[in-house]
Amino acid sequence: MIAAVGGGGLSEAWDWVVGVTDWGVRNWSYPDEPNRGIRPKLVEHVRLAYVSILIGLVTALPLGLACARWGRLYPPVLTGVNVLYAVPSIALFFLMLPYTGFSDWTAIVPLSLYTLVILLPNVVDGLRQVPDHVRQAAVAMGFGPLRRLVTVEMPVAVPVIIAGLRVASVATISMVSVASLVGLGGLGQIILSDGFRRQFDAPIVVGIVLVVLLAFVTDALLVIAQYLLTPWTRGNGGAKERRRRSRRRAVVATGTPAAASQRPTRATAGE
Amino acid sequence: MITFEGAAKIYPDGTVAVAHLDLTVETGKTTVFVGPSGSGKTTSLRMINRMVEPTDGTVRIDGADIRGRNPAQLRRAIGYVIQQAGLFPHRTVLDNIATVPLLLGWRRRRARARAAELMELVGLEPAQAKRYPHQLSGGQQQRVGVARALAADPPILLMDEPFSAVDPVVRTSLQDELIRLQQELHKTVVFVTHDIDEAVRLGDRIAVFRPGGELAQYDSPERLLAEPVDAFVESFIGYDRGVRRLSFFPARGLSLREDVVFDDEDRVERARSVVAGDGEPWALVVDSARIPQGWVSAAQLDRAPAGVPLGSLELAPYGHTFDVGTDSLRAALDAAVLSPAGRAVGVDDEGRVVGVVSQDDLGAAIWSVSE
Repeated sequence: MIAAVGGGGLSEAWDWVVGVTDWGVRNWSYPDEPNRGIRPKLVEHVRLAYVSILIGLVTALPLGLACARWGRLYPPVLTGVNVLYAVPSIALFFLMLPYTGFSDWTAIVPLSLYTLVILLPNVVDGLRQVPDHVRQAAVAMGFGPLRRLVTVEMPVAVPVIIAGLRVASVATISMVSVASLVGLGGLGQIILSDGFRRQFDAPIVVGIVLVVLLAFVTDALLVIAQYLLTPWTRGNGGAKERRRRSRRRAVVATGTPAAASQRPTRATAGE
Repeated sequence: MITFEGAAKIYPDGTVAVAHLDLTVETGKTTVFVGPSGSGKTTSLRMINRMVEPTDGTVRIDGADIRGRNPAQLRRAIGYVIQQAGLFPHRTVLDNIATVPLLLGWRRRRARARAAELMELVGLEPAQAKRYPHQLSGGQQQRVGVARALAADPPILLMDEPFSAVDPVVRTSLQDELIRLQQELHKTVVFVTHDIDEAVRLGDRIAVFRPGGELAQYDSPERLLAEPVDAFVESFIGYDRGVRRLSFFPARGLSLREDVVFDDEDRVERARSVVAGDGEPWALVVDSARIPQGWVSAAQLDRAPAGVPLGSLELAPYGHTFDVGTDSLRAALDAAVLSPAGRAVGVDDEGRVVGVVSQDDLGAAIWSVSE
């Protein structure tokens, strides 16, 4: 068990690592059974997480634009999505079951909603942090309201939106595991059925490591995306300052980052 | 020609931004709206491109009511420069300048070529075309702002406190640049500022606004400084309006003394005889090209041994000079006040000394023009 790591010496710890790695390699994939092994679970995890993040982003953008355009819309919409966020994910998964059965949608619909909740304030704040003189200059140059929003305010808001996307994607990747309770959940299934139910620590460790790695890679991809999308923040001075500001905003907008990442844990504990 | 006919802006909560404005802005001239904050000058400016809609009255451009025009299209035909430049941070300098041509549907290549022309016009290096606004200094950003406003060659240029966020040295150079551009382009410029000095420098006509959104006086800068209509305008212009008014009188009319100017090869006794002759306390020493070297006092000349060239004596600095051909009485007075000799050195356009003038003589000249 995991406790053995603390008790033993260095060589015992090493044996344990070798054991876990060995289990991971042996169970990576089974050529005859495409649905068995770690690899298909990892693929499922990526699919569930990425599709959810994408749908969340695609809905958050127009909703955020609308909230920025018609300010009165924002408070009720924000309250609405926040209430949804308060519903434990596990409960939502079970609520979805009668409608979507054991299809991917059972996991994707709630997970997209959570992404949306995290992203929406960032989209709105990102649009609102566009300096007033920039907005006014755009009006004075003769941009119509929609054109201004899409070609001036949206690009300027990209760093803040991506900061939110980074928080949302890590949270979503972590939360996918919870869906294993309804028979989905990618790597979560390895943790739950192979590890937890059988009191066997290798699958738990392999599952955790892979989830963390996936979150890390995704975050790196987003950082690269931001680098490519926002060439104007590079170079001297201003860029660093702007990035710092946008990250702070992301934290303010979504509550503490800790709260976001704790959510899956809390949901599992409830079970 | 831009005409305000009883234009007013009163907000629903009762705040009066502009009470009642009747004013005509002449075509091809620079008109400055000046006043303290809350006097409605920016609101009035923004009525011209419909960023603010008057609650009463009419604004016309060349006789046509601007309410007859689509706001976005109207704005594309009017250049606008805002405080802090308002550049788009995600676009390069070149694309910022090309904004309005692109909105008007120009092809990208043509818009960029036009933008490059404008960069040259406002004094930006071609190497800055691919930079982003945050990589430029405040003054450079403001130049980009001016270039962007001029890109589609609009007949009207609105400038809303464009130079108030940059340091005084840069501000002066931007003002010079605007004066130069305006001599070349003859746009109808409406310029908002709270700085009366800037207004006097740039304006062909100045509209002074008082708090509560009323027009207090609308006049040429000379008349504004000479005859403020009331106590508000007088106090707004400031107590040194008399000195500022001297900017409008050329130094050309001053009678300069040439006899107290000596070559640095001249002997001490030559200067001594002239200076002692009429009690003049200072003599100016110049080199063979008549470039000023410094002042020498009568007391110094008395002490110096005979036969010594003036150039070998210790000379007092001559401070700054004024250009006899182009500078004003104000510049001459300033040069005299700052000079240790109490005298101003007048030079021609190549810096060669024409003559010197004392504070007393300047005082007499000022007295005569003020009459």
